[in-house]
Amino acid sequence: MSDLAFSAIVNGRKISRTAKPSQRLLDFIRDDLNLTGNKEGCGAGECGTCSVFVDGVLMKSCLLPVAKVQGARIDTIESLAKTGELSVLQKAFHKAGASQCGYCIPGMVMAATAALRINPFADREEIKERLGGNICRCTGYQKIFDAVELARDVQNGHLPVTMLDGIDAEQGDYIGKNVSRIDAPSKVSGRLKYAGDMLMPDMLHVHVLRSPHAHAKILSIDTSAAEAMEGVEGVITCADVPGEDGFGVFVHDQPVMARDKVRYVGEAVAAVAAEDPVLARQAAAAIKVVYEPLPALFNAEDALKPGAPVIHDYAPDNVTKHIPIRVGDVEKGFAESDLVIEEHYDTQAIEHAYLEPEAGLAYVDHDGVVVVISPSQNITHHRHMLAKIIAKPIAKVRFIMSPVGGGFGGKEDMIYQGMLALLAMKTGRPVRLVFTREESIASTAKRHPSKTTLRMGFMRDGRIRAVAFKMISDGGAYGLSTEGVMRKAAILGAGPYVIPNLQMDTIGVYTNNTPSGAFRSFGALQTQFATETHLDIACERLGLDPFEIRRINMMRDGATTHTKQKLKSVSIGRVLDAAEKASGWEKGVSGQRYGRGDLGGEGLRPAVALGARFAADTKQEAAE
Amino acid sequence: MLTCDEYLTPATLADAFAAMAAHRGRYRIVAGATDTLPWAREGRAGDVHIPVLIDVAKIPELNERHVDERRVRLGAATAIQRFLDDAALARALPALPRCAVWFADDQIRAQATIGGNIVNASPAADVNPCLIAHEAVVEIVSASGKRTLPLHDFLLGPGKTALKEGELLTAIECDALPGYGGSFEKVGHRRSLVISLACLAFSVRLDADGRVIEDARIGLAGVCPVPVRLRSVEGFLRGKKLSEELLEEAADMPLDLVQSRTRQEYRRDILRGFMMRGLITAAKRAGADPAVLSSELEAAYV
Repeated sequence: MSDLAFSAIVNGRKISRTAKPSQRLLDFIRDDLNLTGNKEGCGAGECGTCSVFVDGVLMKSCLLPVAKVQGARIDTIESLAKTGELSVLQKAFHKAGASQCGYCIPGMVMAATAALRINPFADREEIKERLGGNICRCTGYQKIFDAVELARDVQNGHLPVTMLDGIDAEQGDYIGKNVSRIDAPSKVSGRLKYAGDMLMPDMLHVHVLRSPHAHAKILSIDTSAAEAMEGVEGVITCADVPGEDGFGVFVHDQPVMARDKVRYVGEAVAAVAAEDPVLARQAAAAIKVVYEPLPALFNAEDALKPGAPVIHDYAPDNVTKHIPIRVGDVEKGFAESDLVIEEHYDTQAIEHAYLEPEAGLAYVDHDGVVVVISPSQNITHHRHMLAKIIAKPIAKVRFIMSPVGGGFGGKEDMIYQGMLALLAMKTGRPVRLVFTREESIASTAKRHPSKTTLRMGFMRDGRIRAVAFKMISDGGAYGLSTEGVMRKAAILGAGPYVIPNLQMDTIGVYTNNTPSGAFRSFGALQTQFATETHLDIACERLGLDPFEIRRINMMRDGATTHTKQKLKSVSIGRVLDAAEKASGWEKGVSGQRYGRGDLGGEGLRPAVALGARFAADTKQEAAE
Repeated sequence: MLTCDEYLTPATLADAFAAMAAHRGRYRIVAGATDTLPWAREGRAGDVHIPVLIDVAKIPELNERHVDERRVRLGAATAIQRFLDDAALARALPALPRCAVWFADDQIRAQATIGGNIVNASPAADVNPCLIAHEAVVEIVSASGKRTLPLHDFLLGPGKTALKEGELLTAIECDALPGYGGSFEKVGHRRSLVISLACLAFSVRLDADGRVIEDARIGLAGVCPVPVRLRSVEGFLRGKKLSEELLEEAADMPLDLVQSRTRQEYRRDILRGFMMRGLITAAKRAGADPAVLSSELEAAYV
């Protein structure tokens, strides 16, 4: 390998270094120059967290071999303002509340900077288009566009600079009060260090070997070739776990690394700590695992069939958790009903898609305390589980929560922290693991896919008489939060309605799919999608307005829920009134009115303004 | 992850050919590199080691740009963004700015090259349907000489081209079509950074009154192994009076071209819609008489 003599002007300073020929510009600025403001969200040019200026042109540094920018002028997020100061755009991002998890924000600020440099008068549509290469998961973009418009107007003198000042202290405490985000300056400037940005002296890099099989017996694991490689400091498998090997939010059914068999594609089998990330990757590839494939299950219904392959010995029926709730007598209720409607509702797995892929560091401190730093959404529980896994007293285990670059429930599970702890203990050195985007998608929890059969009996006036609700959810290979999701689904799924006769069953099932877990709304989304859609269908059949059927059935102050909870106050009435008013709802039976005047005519929405810059031929920008 | 032992950036064609000869069988050519790096990741090629990467993006011959009233000559390393910021190019190749604005995003367009998009030979490559409608010819150079090939003969199938060992695609030459109205229709999963399920490029010239189609050029990609020129539709339209009925008849003609392995029905549906919308917008931009293309027609398709 012949190293490159690389020189460039980075953030105004001339630098000359030796670079590796395979390095990308992103690796060079983050690893060699320790400019960690720009992030790696996907490594494939999709997300824009790595956007930097190359000779004044915005580019994605994950797609640029460093040799390509030899001699160029490179400007990263760190170039936009001096330490402790913020550019107009950065101040506008702060003011508008445009930074939430913050991980996309450095790239987003760079793209916004580029947009206003190219066209200082860009309108909102053009801003949207010019930010089209940058993805944000938290904001829904509106606040980001607000921020860019605010900065544009301040720069152009249309708004006073005082518009960028902090939010004035409002009197009183109430929901909806504006508060200034104290972490925003560190996020808009790129100074905040996420776990993948952190360095420790003498740190090793971790790579995980993952299962290519959905369900297979592990016959043998041979790590000798990997261990013999120079620069490889530690290799671990399940054999390195000293304590009780199991984690999970409700049932501890998942080993730190696969034990005896693998249960999904992407499950960790072994992990390597080495002097550099490329070497760790090569060493992991040198580990030989012999598998004997087993019949695998890819949907929950198959898993429930008698004689289906068993995924966990403790659950021979493949049921992770069944929550049954019974109120009254549903069959009697259906018999009394004027109208009975039965429908099926399916929802699919959904990836959380936070911009920050999982990352973490671990080390053993001077007192022998095992310390794990990671964007975990549940550090206290992780600490208790890890203490058992590594057979140490709780006082010898410490978890530090690093800034979470988006979680949405997806970072509740202790998927990799156990491996980090074991490698730190085995090597005696700090270790760091940073997931690739592909790894993050393959190995971490998803929203539970669900199949719901819903039967509802109604009286002619719209009152619900009986509900039979059965949801079968694919929990994937391990329990994670499945039990909690099934509980919440059973509690919330029938909606805030008075239902005299109810039969509710939510069933989480093991399969060989990627595990399902926590995801914001936690089981309510799947079930309420079914219930609320069902009510709309009932409206069409009964000739009722959709708001009306909900008012007829809603719980009121003092109601008792089907789980016997007494509700002192119930707000659904006020919520319905507000939603009806705010949406400009035109009263009537749903499904019997077509077209809305404000959306471009009968049944149509106006076309999305694609290629906004060509909206009018006369001002074709290419002619500039 | 893509790894290499050497990353070479030859400054001249001669240096590039020397490097290719010295590392025969051990190199890969890169230009923009915007597809090569994501290609070497899990789910596509996985970890790939290529001993030598030869980056040709800075070679002067690959960065030529010449435009006159009749012909356009573009170096293969011309960045896609140039179709948006070079007014002369936009005038000579009226469908290409419309294509470019849908191509990846601003940042990738500044780096991705027209030659790279061609040699990748993806059935869904966006520039190819535009270029074949301009009778594009590619220039292929090796240490021993130069040859030219029509673009539609250069593209042999998904990922396959007529490029031989030791050869480089250096330039593209094609018809300039100033005065034509251009349009480009594409659909994928989202607005930015998406591979086309189907894409269509249109260039249309009308008579002075904006009522008769004097010439039409239509390229289609994404639904068949290589992009195709819709010559039968072009011939059908040429010399005819522009009318709603004419466009509808034309839109129904190419439906049997869909050969994709998946979503055939969907692709046929969108193909018809794209034909209508593309023809209407291209004709409008070519100066169609507003009386001929009714606002109802536009509302229905555009």
